[in-house]
Amino acid sequence: MAAEKWVYMVTAQTPTNIAVIKYWGKRDEVRILPVNDSISVTLDPDHLCTVTTVAVSPSFDRDRMWLNGKEISLSGSRYQNCLREIRSRGGDVEDKEKGVKIEKKDWERLNLHIASHNNFPTAAGLASSAAGFACLVFSLAKLMNVEEDPSQLSAIARQGSGSACRSLFGGFVKWKMGSKDDGSDSVAVQLADEKHWDDLVIIIAVVSSRQKETSSTSGMRESVETSLLLQHRAKEVVPKRIVQMEEAIKNRDFASFTQLSCTDSNQFHAVCLDTSPPIFYMNDTSHRIISLVEKWNRSEGTPQVAYTFDAGPNAVLIARNRKVAVQLLQGLLYYFPPKSDTDMKSYVVGDNSILKEAGLDGENSVENLQPPPEIRDNIGSQDQKGEVSYFICTRPGRGPVVLPDQTQALLDPETGLPK
Amino acid sequence: MAAEKWVYMVTAQTPTNIAVIKYWGKRDEVRILPVNDSISVTLDPDHLCTVTTVAVSPSFDRDRMWLNGKEISLSGSRYQNCLREIRGRAGDVEDKEKGVKIEKKDWEKLHLHIASHNNFPTAAGLASSAAGFACLGIVLCLSVSSWVFSLAKLMNVDEDASHLSAIARQGSGSACRSLFGGFVKWEMGSKEDGSDSVAVQLADEKHWNDLVIIIAVVSSRQKETSSTSGMRESVETSLLLQHRAKEVVPKRTLQMEEAIKNRDFASFTQLSCADSNQFHAVCLDTSPPIFYMNDTSHRIISLVEKWNRSEGTPQVAYTFDAGPNAVLIARNRKVAVQLLQGLLYYFPPKSETDMKSYVVGDNSILKEAGLDGANSVENLQPPPEIKDNIGSQDQKGEVSYFICTKPGRGPVVLPDQTQALLDPETGLPK
Repeated sequence: MAAEKWVYMVTAQTPTNIAVIKYWGKRDEVRILPVNDSISVTLDPDHLCTVTTVAVSPSFDRDRMWLNGKEISLSGSRYQNCLREIRSRGGDVEDKEKGVKIEKKDWERLNLHIASHNNFPTAAGLASSAAGFACLVFSLAKLMNVEEDPSQLSAIARQGSGSACRSLFGGFVKWKMGSKDDGSDSVAVQLADEKHWDDLVIIIAVVSSRQKETSSTSGMRESVETSLLLQHRAKEVVPKRIVQMEEAIKNRDFASFTQLSCTDSNQFHAVCLDTSPPIFYMNDTSHRIISLVEKWNRSEGTPQVAYTFDAGPNAVLIARNRKVAVQLLQGLLYYFPPKSDTDMKSYVVGDNSILKEAGLDGENSVENLQPPPEIRDNIGSQDQKGEVSYFICTRPGRGPVVLPDQTQALLDPETGLPK
Repeated sequence: MAAEKWVYMVTAQTPTNIAVIKYWGKRDEVRILPVNDSISVTLDPDHLCTVTTVAVSPSFDRDRMWLNGKEISLSGSRYQNCLREIRGRAGDVEDKEKGVKIEKKDWEKLHLHIASHNNFPTAAGLASSAAGFACLGIVLCLSVSSWVFSLAKLMNVDEDASHLSAIARQGSGSACRSLFGGFVKWEMGSKEDGSDSVAVQLADEKHWNDLVIIIAVVSSRQKETSSTSGMRESVETSLLLQHRAKEVVPKRTLQMEEAIKNRDFASFTQLSCADSNQFHAVCLDTSPPIFYMNDTSHRIISLVEKWNRSEGTPQVAYTFDAGPNAVLIARNRKVAVQLLQGLLYYFPPKSETDMKSYVVGDNSILKEAGLDGANSVENLQPPPEIKDNIGSQDQKGEVSYFICTKPGRGPVVLPDQTQALLDPETGLPK
């Protein structure tokens, strides 16, 4: 195969996900095996996604990767583990048009170029590594004609980043902790697809943060080592919540979904606070948003909005339907208005058709907002510009897909280098 | 005894206390019995205290109480329980000079006037004492210990301080620990009637008198959840609270007693900080979640954590109660001076603030810190160990003021009539 210059490529898109029953703590740092199950909602990749192009060619002299246009090292164990696991499952590939013929045994010797792009800022604290590793594994599986199903692929993605395994499916996903030492049963499964509960609307408040965050990886390790509450949570609390959450999702029981999501998010942050040194992911703005939602839910009698926070101050708010989402957005914009001269379309991104429904697409529309009746007091003044950088409006979404359109590829089809 | 107009009075001073192993959660709401032991440090009443004058006279037609000058109702069950308990233990009293002779059986029929005043240093920007004291986040009910102690003296009650603490406890849990100076433990007890749920002294205020305490009174826009309702919500909804009470606190209580006994500051710090954080973790694990600490509280914790780690051995312990205020305990005066410099660097006063109203209590520390001159704050250097990641210096107003104090003594009678809060003739507030 000397002097062969063909470049064979596949481009895929994967979503990101947000846990509603949280993963926090490993029982095995190398294989990335968790101390409890977790459940997530996959977010619509139209709004938040990772696109990855993977290419193979005999002319590539080494594995290389570019993330958001910048070359990064693949020498870390997480990348090495994923690449090794996926290569060993590579199958035969033939593309007669291009003159490509790869046999199973060839994958070991062939080098890969990988280019990945997140359509949301890494600094926004929106768990880019989950989408990234899921996309890497999914695209390579497609490239190499790997025969494993998504659950089996999730076990490989898991070794790159725990929460990545849940991005191999759309809708509602559970990462089973498993019990085997080799982690072969620590996989993601789909609980329900994205159409199952499509009334839900998700609004993410990207909260300004001056602090450098503690990374999830080191944070959860410190929690395992020092929190005296973590094991109790993992052994006694989460197993019951998992069962209840599966029921709530199955039955579209929004009240239970909310109660479980909010309490699990708060308990995760409680364990972070119980760590030495303590970890504070939420800030005063996060707390204000929680107060707003808690008061509203109580005043309506039945929950309207669920909230959950990951390892950062951003609020993920899940509204029971579109009408509630519109009211929620109005309430949020009342309390967290944009700075003057901000274009509303850059302050509310994603599905911003919601702006029109909320009457917020015209000029000065924010100044004309009334304070929500139920929560008129005690949230603090309206004068908190800049606390929220922007909002993203989205919903539960589909799992990974191949993008057949060549124009979306991130690598040049001739050279295999970033476009 | 008709038409007798004598007024018999006693005035006493009691300290406040700050828990280092926290009380959070009751197993009995009526008797105020906790789900776990707690341990506290009594603060020097020279800087923070409650003064109470109690008076009895046949001319009083009903029990009345004034707190910080304002009359309040005594009808609540907590007040009624304390008054009943203390009356039930009253003894004979005779003051020949005044012509006062009260027999044990008379107390039931006699009425009391009680005036309490929370004393704390005046500080910039606070309109009134009550508001100011409330903003300290230190339970107002600590005045309970003050009037239980004063009444015990007035009525010649024969109980020791631990027995009195069981009465104060029924007014407000944490008040029971203010019946002693130094280091105090509130034993949870196991009896249903609460007779063994009492405070005991672990060590007096001289035992570890190197310690210096700096309280950062943090500005808070939020109305706080009261401790009483907060801890009840935690008991009802937190799935972590019982584990804390049954598995964590018992061991920590033993370790803390050892640390205090041996003046082991490293262990004292590790336990205080971990227990404060766990208490706040349980608050967060409550439904709805309770946030007592805010971003400023977190910045102070970061500052202290980084400093302790950079020094290799802890220099400062921190603890937070049901509010954003930081109680920082420095291992000695030298460390306290450095701590104050660091705090003033990151939390400078607003322009034109008089330093003596920004650092109150034992403000002789200002001179030792080189902070008593004009513009002295602008000249502060950032502490070397913590130069990064705490955020900018530009956070004026985050801290309202600082109080410098130390571990202190328990309740005392104030014999000086000029300190009485009631008029000796009328028995009404002066």
